[in-house]
Amino acid sequence: MESRPTNRAPAIDVAGLVKHYGDVVAVDGLDLRVEEGAFFGLLGPNGAGKTTTLSILTTLARPDAGRARVAGRDVLAERAAVRRELGIVFQEPSLDRELTAREHLDLQARLYHLDERARRVAAALERVDLAAHADRPVRGFSGGMKRRLEIARGLLHRPRLLFLDEPTLGLDVAARAAIWAQLRRLHAEGETTVFLTTHSMEEADALCQRVGILDRGRLVVEGTPAELKGALGGDVVVLGFEAAAAGDGPARALAAVQGVREVRPHEDARRLRVTVSDGPRRLPALLEAARAWRVSDVELHRPNLEHVFLHHTGHPFEPERLGDRP
Amino acid sequence: MSTFVSDALAIFQRELLRYRRDRAYWIGQLAFPLGVVAFIGFGLNDVVRLPTGTDYLGHLASGVLALLVGSSGVGGGMTLIQDRESGFLRVLLVAPVSRASLVAGKVLARSLASLALVGVLVAILSTFTPLGLPHPGAVLLAVVAVTVAFVALGIALGAFLRSAESFRMLAAFVTLPLYFLSGIFYPVSTLPAATRWLSYANPLTYGVDLLRYGLLGVNEIPLARSAALLLALTLGCAALSVALFDRESR
Repeated sequence: MESRPTNRAPAIDVAGLVKHYGDVVAVDGLDLRVEEGAFFGLLGPNGAGKTTTLSILTTLARPDAGRARVAGRDVLAERAAVRRELGIVFQEPSLDRELTAREHLDLQARLYHLDERARRVAAALERVDLAAHADRPVRGFSGGMKRRLEIARGLLHRPRLLFLDEPTLGLDVAARAAIWAQLRRLHAEGETTVFLTTHSMEEADALCQRVGILDRGRLVVEGTPAELKGALGGDVVVLGFEAAAAGDGPARALAAVQGVREVRPHEDARRLRVTVSDGPRRLPALLEAARAWRVSDVELHRPNLEHVFLHHTGHPFEPERLGDRP
Repeated sequence: MSTFVSDALAIFQRELLRYRRDRAYWIGQLAFPLGVVAFIGFGLNDVVRLPTGTDYLGHLASGVLALLVGSSGVGGGMTLIQDRESGFLRVLLVAPVSRASLVAGKVLARSLASLALVGVLVAILSTFTPLGLPHPGAVLLAVVAVTVAFVALGIALGAFLRSAESFRMLAAFVTLPLYFLSGIFYPVSTLPAATRWLSYANPLTYGVDLLRYGLLGVNEIPLARSAALLLALTLGCAALSVALFDRESR
């Protein structure tokens, strides 16, 4: 018996999800909710459990414990129904080199029992700017073209949810910009919920409406990028002076400026660290207040998701290491 | 059920697209049997006297066609590994189609390719060997059943192996004894008693005998027994392969 999902069921609803691979705990009690229609990014370093989570949500891996519902359906008990509701773009290549772009989409249309196949396939190729290359085998495609074809394929049956695993990994800057533009347009024009994983802070910040930070198989924090960054207390302005100040004159003058939360000494005695809300707008007032002590230089730091990660996990976001993946 | 058929046909069509572009496959599959018959068959024809009284050239030619169907079938199972290596398999696995329809589509495509090859080769071989087409129904049954069994064997091996490289090695190791114990090169009745029993446990033996009946009109084993055992073994292989594939691809 398949349960009947209500219209208000979240697109993704995960509770206590656990998945081991041998001794390695890939997902360690994950709780996550993504509302219908959201553009959600699961951000985490390599090995955080992103791909495993995605595999479970798309029915390709079985969880050891916990439950996961996608489009209101259980990923274990209602596997076939879940598969009909989702589209996916895998991290690793997933094209048949010998088939053309059109043949890939036509096969997809048949496997999802779509009507008006030829028209839909042509429209999908048009949308990802591959119409001119429709009848070439994909072995001659560039990385960006392949990725666009995979996105077109994932969307062909108009799934309620589109999953993307590191959609721009390994692409050059221009190809990445094209993919971002396509994903934004797709999300703006339809009701598709987009769920992507990324280890790029920039991608999560620029593209996603909501971001969940995953570390060591657990969700650390979740919210809009602005909320997450705002919760850190504001921007940081570092003021450098021509000489180390005698006494706390400059600190007191800076603390009196509107929006300033905290003024702290810097490890360099000629500098002060000011935490302030809306840094770019307060900068002139800060410089004005410190003028008598002769400011030599100034730095403005806006918090990014890297700071958010560090703040919540207590350890830095690991840089990508080669040979990290099995 | 109707979605099973349409899903299998979609996979079938995709496989055919691939074969059509794989010129090396066709050239290799046509050249090998002709080479064996030309270089070995003519040499041994005057040396070997079969107890069944059949001309050795015809015996070998029909046997080599069975060998072709078997190895082409194993190759069909290997396409599953190739799909895994290219990442394409995941796209098929995440689609709302049954594992059985994926297997059925691949089997169907290989069967058709093998029938086409056997057709062309019989036309060529019939000009200089006793090969003909006295019983096309037997040929059809033998080709399809052997293909199913060997694609299934390929899939079963593929379920445990990750790379095409190791597949090729293991497949040769597993299939060579099946070929030598199936009556392809010499009649099963000439084998010593111990190995003869191994031959009777080998599904290919019945396929070879049935194919030979279809192409030459001679057979060692009663036809009804061949057909029944071949079908039973083939269905068993197919069920086992779907079960293995299903278990490992969840």
